[in-house]
Amino acid sequence: MTKLLEVNNLHTRFKVRNGYLHAVNGVSFSLDRGEMLGVVGESGCGKSVSMMSLIRLLPPAAEITDGEVLLEGEDITHASVNRVNAIRGSKVGMIFQDPMTSLNPFMKIGEQVIESIVFHKKLAKAEALKQAARYLKMVGISNAEHRLNEYPHQLSGGMRQRVMIAMALLNEPSLVIADEPTTALDVTIQAQIVELVKGLREKLNMSIIWITHDLSLLAGMVDRIMVMYGGYIVEEAVLDDIYKSPLHPYTIGLLKSIPSLKTEAGSRLPSIPGAPPNLFAEPTGCPFAPRCTYRVDRCTREVPALATVPGAEGDRPHRVACWVDMRGRGIAQ
Amino acid sequence: MTDQALPLPQEEKQFSLAKDAFIRLVANRLAVVGMVLVAFLFFIAIFGPYLTPYDFLSQDLLSRNQAPSWQHWFGTDDLGRDILSRVIYGSRTAVIVGFSTVSFSLVIGLFMGALGGYFGGKVDAFVVWLIDITMSIPSLLLVIVINVSLKPPLVNWMDAQFVATGNEFYRNTIWVDFVLVFGSLALIKWPKAARIIRGQILSIRNKNYVLAAEALGVPTYKIVRRYVIPNAIGPIIVYISAALGEAMVLESSFSFLGVGVRPPIPSWGNMISDGLRIWQLYPHVLAAPAAVLAIVTIAFSFLGDGLNDALNPRQWK
Ligand SMILES: Nc1ncnc2c1ncn2[C@@H]1O[C@H](COP(=O)(O)OP(=O)(O)O)[C@@H](O)[C@H]1O
Ligand code: SF4
Ligand SMILES: [Mg+2]
Repeated sequence: MTKLLEVNNLHTRFKVRNGYLHAVNGVSFSLDRGEMLGVVGESGCGKSVSMMSLIRLLPPAAEITDGEVLLEGEDITHASVNRVNAIRGSKVGMIFQDPMTSLNPFMKIGEQVIESIVFHKKLAKAEALKQAARYLKMVGISNAEHRLNEYPHQLSGGMRQRVMIAMALLNEPSLVIADEPTTALDVTIQAQIVELVKGLREKLNMSIIWITHDLSLLAGMVDRIMVMYGGYIVEEAVLDDIYKSPLHPYTIGLLKSIPSLKTEAGSRLPSIPGAPPNLFAEPTGCPFAPRCTYRVDRCTREVPALATVPGAEGDRPHRVACWVDMRGRGIAQ
Repeated sequence: MTDQALPLPQEEKQFSLAKDAFIRLVANRLAVVGMVLVAFLFFIAIFGPYLTPYDFLSQDLLSRNQAPSWQHWFGTDDLGRDILSRVIYGSRTAVIVGFSTVSFSLVIGLFMGALGGYFGGKVDAFVVWLIDITMSIPSLLLVIVINVSLKPPLVNWMDAQFVATGNEFYRNTIWVDFVLVFGSLALIKWPKAARIIRGQILSIRNKNYVLAAEALGVPTYKIVRRYVIPNAIGPIIVYISAALGEAMVLESSFSFLGVGVRPPIPSWGNMISDGLRIWQLYPHVLAAPAAVLAIVTIAFSFLGDGLNDALNPRQWK
């Protein structure tokens, strides 16, 4: 497999009232063609901001202060605004959390879905609508030609999310970023959307970054998982390694809070005590230290770097950022 | 695999958004009443003065304060002038003042509101400050101050121009009244427009559908044209409808108080003011302009509510 995406030392911060909020603090990772990566962490850990930074889809208060993003070898971070727009319209598709508000209530589904390809691929409207209908069918919308002529409020939440997926795929992107695409949907529809994306991925051979706060959702879906905390990647490994031999105390905490078949009914799930850091100051130690039960002196003095675990090198290394060697001390699931 | 199917409409037609909205509007009975009344008002304001049986100025001292009759449907006033003709001419005054005021205030409001909403930060803080300051000035006080301080020099200047140039235009100082009324009403009304437009821009800019469009590389000018403006236009049209009604009422109250349009040019306000002096004896002199003003106010509010519902697809059922 060849590299599709390479992210090096990405830093993003927000200008806030008296200073900066350090949302992304040196994120580096890469993604192969056709690979599916899960990004997980509690809310506020910098998942969305880091992935939006990839295509510079940031509010005015945000700035990327360091690092670079290479998509198919092209530097997006330093590209012109027009070039970034062209990349968004051809190589990257985004699916957002809230399908209820992600469609313009004043535009018909059809017009909205084809807007980008009409502009970027210079397709004729009739041709584009035909293609849109094909994609709507592909994402499981019946009566597609009719739907094209409806307004968003005439569709249910699950339907709208399908429309958003069709819209993201219509450009035939090589990378799709899905930011908690099922969080706002109820459980049965959630499962349908997950199945749909898994199927589409095989059919269209695209790379997918799936962001979620729910580690259990990624089982059986992604190839690799990246755990984020406080704007850092704290652990990264292939799916099985994250589930079977997690090495970061934060990952271990997340896993312990997933209900399993063994969980007795009525018993309380252990959740990680405390809350994610507020990110107003750049941390001087491990960002997880205040909540970590394995903490040692060094943890509060030095930020642990994301390093490959000895013996787990290779194509997809197991990387972890922790001063304590957790091997053999992890969870017994 | 699919969600529960939604009931499908019987026919599939290519309706444009404006057409859809219009269909919604005419389905609303009160809105239709409002629309018809407002259309009638505009018709009367434009063509009425050519259709009136009497000149609005011609006095007939032999038939003063006559009750409504076949000759004078609304009766006559204390100078024997036909009240129907004066009410009709008053509609022209009201419409002229309403339109110019709303256009002026909309232009200022659009500029200020867009400035604040778009640039944010210090510019926005300044705009908000200006809005608050303007809104805190009592409108009547503002009108009186403008009238007292600006009118005499303006009239003097026009007299001087007439003497110097001999141009008839400068002799008609009635226009000074109008300009002062528009000017002060626009000054009173722009903050509301600015506030609505600023709020719209601020909220729409942060909407997910704008983000989704940006994520697809839709260029900014298209986002403004197809996402921001259509979503902002509903409240602005509703504002225009409400503001037209309000401006007409305000014009009447100023004219009633003698700081607006002055006799002999008829305005519903100065007619009400005249009528008030003799209403115990001749109630019809007061009743006609007061009733017309009330009906117009209600018509605009029906129309405004109807537009509000019709222009918002989220409320369509
Ligand atoms: N527009 C913004 N302005 C200021 N801070 C923001 C903004 N968006 C996100 N943040 C902050 O950046 C951090 C990371 O947010 P985010 O990436 O959205 O978290 P996640 O997606 O993991 O829940 C949070 O602390 C959040 O408060
Ligand atoms: S570095 Fe220290 S504080 Fe941070 S996760 Fe590891 S043990 Fe805990
Ligand atoms: Mg998020």
